[in-house]
Amino acid sequence: MSHYLFIQSQDPFTETRTHHQFDLIGQLHDAGHQVAVLLVQNGVTPARRGAKSDLFDDLLLWGVTVRADQFALAQREIDHADLKDQIGVADMDLVIDAMLAGHKVIWH
Amino acid sequence: MSDTKTLTFAFMEPPFESERTVTFFRLLDAALDRGAGVRVFAYEGAVALAFARQQPHGNAVHHRDSEEEDHPLTKDWIAALQEKARSKGIGFEWINCGLCVDERGVNDVIEGCGRGGPPDLWRYASEAHNTLTIGTR
Repeated sequence: MSHYLFIQSQDPFTETRTHHQFDLIGQLHDAGHQVAVLLVQNGVTPARRGAKSDLFDDLLLWGVTVRADQFALAQREIDHADLKDQIGVADMDLVIDAMLAGHKVIWH
Repeated sequence: MSDTKTLTFAFMEPPFESERTVTFFRLLDAALDRGAGVRVFAYEGAVALAFARQQPHGNAVHHRDSEEEDHPLTKDWIAALQEKARSKGIGFEWINCGLCVDERGVNDVIEGCGRGGPPDLWRYASEAHNTLTIGTR
């Protein structure tokens, strides 16, 4: 089992390639790996409560750990209370800690 | 010999174009906060991040002069990270891809940023505790 952290900068509403990115994340999760996602930049947009992205929402349903960058949220005036229930807030420390722990960190 | 872990970052985004640049610099800052050494291999447009002749400018539309506009320059962000690393006694290295520099004519870089090539990225990645590559897409 490996640990993966995906830095998700692209959003599903303007980037069709996120379809494959979310597929990959889900497949690694299904395969038994520890997978986490940090949403950054426009990647935070599907995190907003009421935002509809089936592939992204499936990740939440399946129990993939998803965090949103508080800086990106603040830039877009998204409050913590606006986030879907399963999504927490994090900072860049999350990435550095994962790298220092030897996890596979992948930029999307 | 220090037991500081070193992290390598490969980045190709030019300055003043994308939100990725801000995220990238935040990552470098967070790495130094964690006490990690940092090595950057900048290639393609990212070689201009360290260009020494970047200049701030005013904003006539908003009636602000250069000082009021306080336009951020990536060369200053690099210098600030260099200083932060020095103050913490940890490494901060920056190598620009020489071919990419020549293509863009941005040879005049700030002190502390070097010139190299793909073998340096290989060396950085091989010696690092971990490596993150940030693509443009």
